[in-house]
Amino acid sequence: MSTVTIRPLLPSYRRANLNFRDRTNILLKPNYINYSIKSAPNARRFCSFKKLQKITVSSSTSTSTSPATSTDTTPVRPGDVFFKETFPLKRTHAVEGKMFVRLQKGKDEKNWQLSVGCNIPGKWILHWGVSFVGDNGSEWDQPPKKMRPPGSVSIKDYAIETPLKKLAEGDVFDQVNIDFDTRSDIAAINFVLKDEETGAWYQHRGRDFKVPLVDYLQHDGNVIGTKSTFGLWPGALGQLSKMILKADTSQSGIQDSSSESCELKQENKHLEGFYEELPIVKEIIIENTVSVSVRKCPETAKTLLNLETDLTGDVVVHWGVCRDDSKNWEIPAEPYPPETIVFKNKALRTLLQPKEGGKGCSRLFTVDEEFAGFLFVLKLNENTWLKCMENDFYIPLTSSSCLPAESVQEMLIPGKAEEATQEVSQTAYTAGIIKEIRNLVSDFSSDISRKTKSKEAQKSILLEIEKLAAEAYSIFRTTAPTFFEEAAVELEESKPPAKISPGTGTGFEILCQGFNWESHKSGRWYMELKEKATELSSLGFSVIWLPPPTESVSPEGYMPRDLYNLSSRYGNIDELKDVVNKFHDVGMKILGDVVLNHRCAHYQNQNGVWNIFGGRLNWDDRAVVADDPHFQGRGNKSSGDNFHAAPNIDHSQDFVRKDIKEWLCWLRNEIGYDGWRLDFVRGFWGGYVKDYLEATEPYFAVGEYWDSLSYTYGEMDHNQDAHRQRIIDWINAASGTAGAFDVTTKGILHSALDRCEYWRLSDEKGKPPGVVGWWPSRAVTFIENHDTGSTQGHWRFPGGREMQGYAYILTHPGTPSVFYDHIFSHYRQEIEALLSVRKRNKIHCRSRVEIVKAERDVYAAIIDEKVAMKLGPGHYEPPSGSQNWSFVTEGRDYKSNLANTRRG
Amino acid sequence: MEVSLMGNSQANVVKTGLPYRDSRVCCSYKNKIDDKVLFVNRVSFLGQNRSANLRKAQLRFCTKASVQSQPLPSDRDSGPLSSARPKSLDAVRLFVGLPLDTVSDANTVNHAKAIAAGLKALKLLGVEGVELPVWWGVAEKEAMGKYNWSGYLAVAEMVEKIGLKLHVSLCFHALKQPKIPLPDWVSQIGESQSSIFYTDQSGQQFKGCLSLAVDDLPVLDGKTPIQVYQEFCESFKSSFKPFMGTTITGISMGLGPDGELRYPSHHRLAKSSKIPGVGEFQCCDRNMLNLLQQHAEANGNPLWGLRGPHDAPSYDESPNSNSFFKDNGGSWESPYGDFFLSWYSSQLISHGNCLLSLASSTFGETGVSIYGKIPLIHSWYKTRSHPSELTAGLYNTAKRDGYAAVAEMFAKNSCKMILPGMDLSDEHQPRESFSSPESLLAQIRTACNKHGVEVSGQNSSVTGAPGGFEQMKKNLFGENVVDLFTYQRMGAYFFSPEHFPSFTKFVRNLNQLELHGDDLPVEEEVTESVHTNANTNIQVQAA
Repeated sequence: MSTVTIRPLLPSYRRANLNFRDRTNILLKPNYINYSIKSAPNARRFCSFKKLQKITVSSSTSTSTSPATSTDTTPVRPGDVFFKETFPLKRTHAVEGKMFVRLQKGKDEKNWQLSVGCNIPGKWILHWGVSFVGDNGSEWDQPPKKMRPPGSVSIKDYAIETPLKKLAEGDVFDQVNIDFDTRSDIAAINFVLKDEETGAWYQHRGRDFKVPLVDYLQHDGNVIGTKSTFGLWPGALGQLSKMILKADTSQSGIQDSSSESCELKQENKHLEGFYEELPIVKEIIIENTVSVSVRKCPETAKTLLNLETDLTGDVVVHWGVCRDDSKNWEIPAEPYPPETIVFKNKALRTLLQPKEGGKGCSRLFTVDEEFAGFLFVLKLNENTWLKCMENDFYIPLTSSSCLPAESVQEMLIPGKAEEATQEVSQTAYTAGIIKEIRNLVSDFSSDISRKTKSKEAQKSILLEIEKLAAEAYSIFRTTAPTFFEEAAVELEESKPPAKISPGTGTGFEILCQGFNWESHKSGRWYMELKEKATELSSLGFSVIWLPPPTESVSPEGYMPRDLYNLSSRYGNIDELKDVVNKFHDVGMKILGDVVLNHRCAHYQNQNGVWNIFGGRLNWDDRAVVADDPHFQGRGNKSSGDNFHAAPNIDHSQDFVRKDIKEWLCWLRNEIGYDGWRLDFVRGFWGGYVKDYLEATEPYFAVGEYWDSLSYTYGEMDHNQDAHRQRIIDWINAASGTAGAFDVTTKGILHSALDRCEYWRLSDEKGKPPGVVGWWPSRAVTFIENHDTGSTQGHWRFPGGREMQGYAYILTHPGTPSVFYDHIFSHYRQEIEALLSVRKRNKIHCRSRVEIVKAERDVYAAIIDEKVAMKLGPGHYEPPSGSQNWSFVTEGRDYKSNLANTRRG
Repeated sequence: MEVSLMGNSQANVVKTGLPYRDSRVCCSYKNKIDDKVLFVNRVSFLGQNRSANLRKAQLRFCTKASVQSQPLPSDRDSGPLSSARPKSLDAVRLFVGLPLDTVSDANTVNHAKAIAAGLKALKLLGVEGVELPVWWGVAEKEAMGKYNWSGYLAVAEMVEKIGLKLHVSLCFHALKQPKIPLPDWVSQIGESQSSIFYTDQSGQQFKGCLSLAVDDLPVLDGKTPIQVYQEFCESFKSSFKPFMGTTITGISMGLGPDGELRYPSHHRLAKSSKIPGVGEFQCCDRNMLNLLQQHAEANGNPLWGLRGPHDAPSYDESPNSNSFFKDNGGSWESPYGDFFLSWYSSQLISHGNCLLSLASSTFGETGVSIYGKIPLIHSWYKTRSHPSELTAGLYNTAKRDGYAAVAEMFAKNSCKMILPGMDLSDEHQPRESFSSPESLLAQIRTACNKHGVEVSGQNSSVTGAPGGFEQMKKNLFGENVVDLFTYQRMGAYFFSPEHFPSFTKFVRNLNQLELHGDDLPVEEEVTESVHTNANTNIQVQAA
């Protein structure tokens, strides 16, 4: 062995990079960039790491004639292998690509086209909306129908989601083209890019891409141009150059892992085409494996260890051996395998040999039998190390050793600790806690600050506990579904009058949505509804959902301003109390529609941004989330999605939560509301909802968690588990204190009924495919509401199929909600019949459903062994035999539904 | 709440530091800096620690040399009865049971992701450790002496990484739900040789564990069950050597059905009826009858050894349905009754003694505490004859304290006693069952106190007994000192919104009686343990 100065390691890694790029067309991003900008402490460590590399190391010059090679040819006898294991190797890579935004003239001056494309493979969705001329503020609106490309899906009333597609075979870019008429009054197109695979939104802290379209902007534009970031179009200008600059350093994308965002701006006074390309970074997970087999060489009494991997390029094994369980790294005596160097006298580094055929590489290692274990990590380049669950791989070398594939705590190479640190801080949340701890460490001298800090830390820990418990719960539930569901059902049956909890009410609730999108027009809706109270009660409804009661910027009530002012377009506070009393008199409970996600401001701040509140809750901009620059909030980052039309309330602020709880209690006591329908709960963490519900102890509560289902090429996927899981996750976050609208079931009914695809109504496990199949007691099923139907029609139930929808939700578990418009229509009689079937047979939110048929043209199910129902034109008769079925009701349309009850 | 979390985790830091210290070698100053960060990250769930704790944790790395050579003494070594333990000031060490089927019969970890998340949550909550059932039918499934510990090792590693303690329950019985059978090879032997199982008076067999009558008979391919159990324990010990005394702090020895020291006298109870019957004596397999015969002959009453009591009711029946258990003038009070019951119960105690001394000698050097579990058979406790206890092998009646002998046997083997049913309260028992879990618990605890046996608690109801948490609290404070409490058991229900919040509340309440964090250093100086040593070292180093 000879001591030499360090071989310049870098070139070989660079080669590895290049190889990699050639193969997969992926640009490998050196990890250290991530961390060097992440935080100061990391950066500091990184520097020291770098210095270490300049240290001289000793390296062995192994020759090809070394005895080790002779063992290379020893044939492997499978019988001798006493250890064999394949380990997964997982790492995250940032894939760099680009997206483009192009504005160009169409067939004439009036028809233009905006194109957005992206060249990273994936399921990309353009989430977009428009601003109309005359809008002030940054609200999005839905574009006119004719502007929407095929395959578009409406998201509430402000956005459209359109998948990006390859226009032709061999296209590099997935793209979407939006055609529009310049004569329309659209002022700008706003969008963000969404990656369905990873769920990442490509926007930067709420800054949307914005493409202004009209001259109208010119003067505003000029104003903004000089004022840089603040103005009527917050962040629109000046931002672009900044963003691109950032992107060029290829750092910002990684920094917050959601990648680039950008705002585009036409500075010209007349519409003019442009083409911009922007770098974009997507993190993908690459999985490889490494297999290790160990056998004894009978001739030499040495241990032969064969290491194989499907990694390509220059893979270096950084290895050592150990004598016992303590796993202290040691360097064995020579000879070493070819292409081995000694690294700092602490480990050996051996380059793996490419396998024939180029798929992966391998190497045989020979170790004296005195050693008990073989320790290694794989090194792809100076910054990419692959390990066994964040620890060294440990391979036992004696057949008696009973610890297979153990990982070791420590390894004696510089840089190891840094990497471990980096790897551990995977999620932002954990990182937050770590930061908290660091703060604690740095502050421990001060007793007082310690106390307050630890209190904060504890709070975040409690939240973390809840999140972990929810995670564990969801896995345990789904991995042992029969156990859980049976238990739940048995519990239910053993005590019929189920305990009342806000998530379920009594379990026998039937909701009526007591308004539509036009109800505000008359100005006296409360009084009109009051007259219908007796009728609704006699139909069988137990709960009525009233429209949002507060003063609101929009007449429908969903843009509340002064929460304590209950004069709305539906009536004043006295009329509200009147209608509430009336419903109580007829034995119904009342749900208040409360908008907690956002609140419109009364006043502007010094920058002219509307974020100062008035009225009794005169909050300032600390009550507004910080990550929506339109409103320049000084609160924390939003705990959910942002609603772009109004300041989003920061529920992490104690004073905000205290005020909201007080307000809700006031509504309970002063008005007499029994429970809540919670608007746009996607906007904030479910744990806060739990807090509110515990403070107000409602009789029933349901949250609106609405996002889009999964589609592939414009066709809805059969498996909507991810969609319903998101809703379940929210209910879990709220600890089951509230139910949630079963958007999944509605979406699946759309496809099943409209396209005669009744097979969709059973999931892979033979359960209902919506939320109702997984957590029936918390699912509030519906087919239409004021947003999806009414005069808005954002996501209307297939026309003429409504009764089949009701036949489904009114006979199935979950808590059904019937829309006002349907009750007072020609469907009324049929709905009444179904309500009566539900009530007579005591179907409740946890009723057991057995799906008998889910075929192309027919769906049939038996509920609680009492009610049989059928949808679709296909044939089904309930089983004869011991049970006698009597016909109860049938729909008028050709796809009849029927429900039968058992006689006697 | 604030106090509790801090105080509790402080104790954890001290303990969790040990394995890291052992495995660590070297290092340069720079590496130590990194270690700090690494440590913080790895146990990031210790976030509730006060900064001072962290400082200790880091500095303790420097004291490695001085501590490493010292074995961690178990509580047993620190003196009899650990009477120096300050009552109720020391918070209860809380464990949570892992799912019964944590390791599948294919030796993989079931729902590993959920368990990983669950472990983190528990650690954050300040729970001391988890209980892991280790099944005979999983680890030695295929053939005698062919052990596969890989699944259990993986779990132990997960637990160690999180920084929790591990209490291992060695289970030599089978389970119906979830289905965990005896080892395949044992079942095969049982098919040809059914007398290895317990048999009741109607000849029905209980195949959930081996009859104690074969303990010393070479029925398992020439080996006695005791030998097989012993080898199982030895293999476990050597396979888990790195964890012993550090991560693994306690081992429960399986003593019978459900791991409890009893006969399977109640296994055929109909689930539908609310009032449990008295159960049946299990003495009708050939080997039991042989033993009975010998005993009867030795006593000069050979006719008494022909069979068990002829006038005992069957499983679901009440005490008065036949004459054996009648409160007044029942055969149990006759000389024959006393003869039979003495023999029946002494067989059980010597079986327990055999297994516990085996466990004690096997694991004695490893620094773990040994536990055995006693059933809490509380129905019919308020009658004079205590029929359910009698059929289960615990000769406890209005006239005789049956638990003194049991406690004495535990004391002899320096074992701690696991008592289930700490969540059961008298008021929630059906009146017709003459049940009194609270009095029975008190009786057993008195016996334990008398013989210096430490008690560790468990809850019995899986779906939450009414008022269970309140009852548990009652059983853990005041005069009631427990060594530790194991809460059963992690799973879907455990983490469900119906349950988890109340469990969280329970944990916080448990710790409320702890000392204020600021007072802890004083407290640490009082207790005599290696922890104190470590801390003193730290102070020296830090000064």
